Parts: sequence; C-alpha cells; structure tokens
Amino acid sequence: MSLEHFIAQRQARWTELEAAVRRARRGRLRGLGADDMQRFGVLLRHASSDLAIARRDHPDTEVTEYLNALCARAHPLLYRGEPLRIGALPRFYATGLPRAFRAAWPYMLAGLALLALGFIAGWLAVDLRPDLRAALVPASLFDQMARGHIQGNVPDAPIAASFIIQNNIRVALICFAGGVLIGVPTALVLLSNGWMLGTVAAAVHIGGYDLQFWSLIVPHGVIELSDIVIAGGTGLMLGDAILRPGSLRRGDALAAAARRAVSLATGAATLLVVAGTLEAFVSPSGLPEAAKLAIGACAGALLYTWLIASGRAPARRHTLAFDGAQSAPA
Amino acid sequence: MRVGTADNVSLGYTTAGVGSRTVAQLIDNLLAGLLMLIALAGGLAVARAAASAQGAAWAVGAAVAFAFLVYVAYFFVAELVSGGRTPGKSAMGLRVLGVDGGAPDAAAIAVRNLVRLVDVTGIGLFIMFFHPQSRRLGDLAGGTVVVRERATLRLASVAAPPPIIVRTPDAGPAVEGIERLGAAEENALRAFLTRQGLTQDTRARLAAQLAARLCDRMQLPPSAPERMWPPELLVERLYLQLENRPR
Repeated sequence: MSLEHFIAQRQARWTELEAAVRRARRGRLRGLGADDMQRFGVLLRHASSDLAIARRDHPDTEVTEYLNALCARAHPLLYRGEPLRIGALPRFYATGLPRAFRAAWPYMLAGLALLALGFIAGWLAVDLRPDLRAALVPASLFDQMARGHIQGNVPDAPIAASFIIQNNIRVALICFAGGVLIGVPTALVLLSNGWMLGTVAAAVHIGGYDLQFWSLIVPHGVIELSDIVIAGGTGLMLGDAILRPGSLRRGDALAAAARRAVSLATGAATLLVVAGTLEAFVSPSGLPEAAKLAIGACAGALLYTWLIASGRAPARRHTLAFDGAQSAPA
Repeated sequence: MRVGTADNVSLGYTTAGVGSRTVAQLIDNLLAGLLMLIALAGGLAVARAAASAQGAAWAVGAAVAFAFLVYVAYFFVAELVSGGRTPGKSAMGLRVLGVDGGAPDAAAIAVRNLVRLVDVTGIGLFIMFFHPQSRRLGDLAGGTVVVRERATLRLASVAAPPPIIVRTPDAGPAVEGIERLGAAEENALRAFLTRQGLTQDTRARLAAQLAARLCDRMQLPPSAPERMWPPELLVERLYLQLENRPR
C-alpha cells in the first residue's frame, strides 16, 4: 500500500485521537464521557497498530515518527495508577498508616535502637568526661533550669510552633530521603538526635534538675521522637532494599520499598504538626510539671494504641465452622 | 527509552537531558520562591495591621507555615495536577513518566519529590550525568523518568505531497529484479518524485543518476530493455510497482 493511501485511509482517526489528547491536556481523561472514553481506547489501539504497520512498511518516514509521538502522548492518559483521593485520607489514617507501621516493625525497632544508641553514647560521654561537659552542653541551659522553666513567651507561640513544625518535618523527610544513600544520612540523624538528648539529659541529671527538664521534653517529645523513629525507619527500609535486594534488581527493590514506605513517612511527618503545637504551647507553659508529664503520657498512650491496635482484621469466625465440619462424621 | 504497550507495539520515548531538566528546575524554583515571598510579605502586612501582638504572631506563623508548605509540596502538587508537567517542565517540553510508560501515580510523585531533598545537594546532578536515561536518585526510587515530548509534529506537515508522475499512465510491465529493492530505495524514489519545482533538465539529469544506480542494484543485465527506457519513465514505473506490491 502506498504511503499516501495509508495516510488517506487512516488520518481521520489520527486527527480524532489528536483532538482527544489535546482536550485531555491537563493529564487526565476526566472530562470525557463514558462513550468518549471507550472511543479513546479504540482510537489509541488503532493508532498503535497503525504505528506497527508504519514501522514495517514505511520506516524512517515522518509519518512513523508522528504516529509514535501521538501514541506516546496518548498512552499515559489511559495507562495510569489509582488517583489520589482526598476522601480516602480518613481511611488511610484509620487503618492504612497503622498497618504500614506494624508491617515495618523491624525497621521501626532498628530506628529506635539507633536513637537509643545515640542517647546512651551522649549520656556516657557527659558522665565519663566531665572536662567535655562545657563543650557538649550550653551553660545557658543550666541558668534556665535554675530559674524553674524556660520562660515561654506566650504571644510568640504561633510563630515558634510553625518554625518548630517546619524544622521537624524537614528532618523527618530527610530521614526518608536519606534512605536512597543506603540510609547513612538517616542513621546519622537518628544518632545525633539521640546524642543531643543524651548529653543534655545527663548534664541536667548531674545538676539535679531532672523533673524540670523532663517536663519540658515529655509533652511533645513522645510524639516527636516516635515520629523521627518512624521516619528514620522508613529511610532504613530503603537502605536495606538497596543493600539486600533479594531476587530483584537493586533499583527495582529500592522503588518497591519506597512505594511501601512513602505513605508511612509522610503520614508520620503530618503527626509532627501535633508535636510541634504541643512543643510551642504546652511544654514552655506555666502548667505544673505533673500536668505536663501527664499530657505527654496521654499523647504517647493515644499514639501507640492507635499504631498498634487500629486497623486489625476482625477475628475470623469461619475457622471455627471449618473445625466443626471436620469433626462431623462423614 | 522503549515501552511496550498492551497490544505489543513498542513506543519510543526520548529521555530528557541534564540541561533542559536543570533549566526546568530553575523556572520551577523561581515560581516556588515567588509564591513563598508573596506568602511571607502577605503575612507580614497582616501582622503590621493586626490590633494585638497575639494576632500578629498568628499571622506570621500562618505565613511561615504556608511558605513551608510551598517548599515541600510545590513539586508534588504541580506534578500531580498537571500529569507530570510542572510549569517549568511544560515550558521546556518535558514530562514525568513512569518507567512502564504510564502516568506516575501519587506515591511515585511523592517519592521522587521527597528524594529531591537529597538530589539538590548536587548528588542528583552527578547521577544524572552518568545515567543513560538521565535519571536522578528520585527517579530511581520513584520508578519514573523524564521524557521530552514532541508536540510540534503535525499530521499536515507529515503528510507528504503526492508524487509527480508525468511519463507513465500506469505501473507498466513488471521489472525483473525489483524484489532486490527495499525500503531505502523506495524512500529515495518517493523523495525524488515528491520534489517540487525541478526544471525539466534537472529532473531528467537526477532521474538518469537514480535510474543507473537502481538498475545496478536490481542487477539488470546490460542488455535488459529497461536500461533503454527513458530514465524518468523507469523511475516512475519502479515507484508505482514498489508501492503496489503485496507485503
């Protein structure tokens, strides 16, 4: 068949597809009705088989190139993953996030272990080397402890909150992203956070200000540190996928792990809004220390009840029926 | 990059290079920076007008929060709502695609833009430079690739003008040895016959050159009658016969 004939016979369908692609330019076919949608699939299949014919009969012509470009633009409009729905968010927080957390428990434990390692190392460093104490812990901290508590400036709390929240979220996201460098930045963030807390806690302990200090840390710290551990755990997941890809190629293993981990990491990052709000409004406030500790304990209890208990499958009754059926005489 | 479709036709994509992607990134960064500036300036203006210190603090806090939201979510939202074409990428004719040729979903877009935090340290540029498809770490983790879109190729410009046939009313008697001619020769014939505005002399001269080569390629004996045909007639008949042969 001549090229002219080939084009003349088919170009109506191509221009129709071209128009449909242009109408769907925003990247989706949502505007199209059911009939148009079906027509789009038909047109795309026609165009791609025309492309196959053009490749064979008219290679190295512009028509082949045109058809390739047309199909390449239309293909991702039809072939796509599930769209993100705002309506699915409550369900994600109710069941998806806790399930992802539980499924990733070894990495969560590893993240916690790194944080604890940093904490213990920091504590020991201050404890064993008094000469380094001044370098490790700022002296101003002791003044504040001696005054009872850090004087929170109430009107500034909203500004403090947004700065604290953005800083913590950035740290959490870096924990996740650092996974692509086999988790090294992630491990460093976890260790250094533990180290900072450890050095200060040890110094405060030696100074005898334990209660004041922990009442400053606990209200927001339970959620904040848990979140850093979760985000760190997701980063470790990525690093582990690169180091031990199993039967996959390393790149594919990384992509698969990142797909599993990303919702957990971003979900944990959003919880930092709660932690940051507590840190700005409750921790430096004039509430009695016992109240602050109680708030922290409640926040922690709520967090872990949710993470551990939420979204579990209901007990399966039919196993009982199956047992009964087996024991029944044949 | 080649992608197989469901009906087993492979689509060819041209992956975008470091240069165009860097420019696209600059444009996007400028836009995001502008949005952040507007947010902060707006927040400060409201704070100055606020009656109480408390109100001013809330305004500044909200502005800072919004600016940070732009910082973390600009690329995610822009790629999600535009089908992988942020304003910068759109300006450079680029688009984010899944490695399977489909549109990337929200998880893939989230991953590639979170890993951006690592890539912007310069590591991304380094990896892209050496990767055959110019993928950065975020692309590797997200399973995505940035391709160049040729939206400019129009059917009208592709559909060549019909060949000019002046010497022969039909394809004529079958030429012996025509099966030795392939797609390359057919393309050459079409290119010659669709050429407009040749003078008669030039057309005859070019046809003679083309006919001589084709006769050799068909391995026609020196005594073959086709060698006696006027070159233009031979060229036109060969073209018609090639176009009409069964495949």
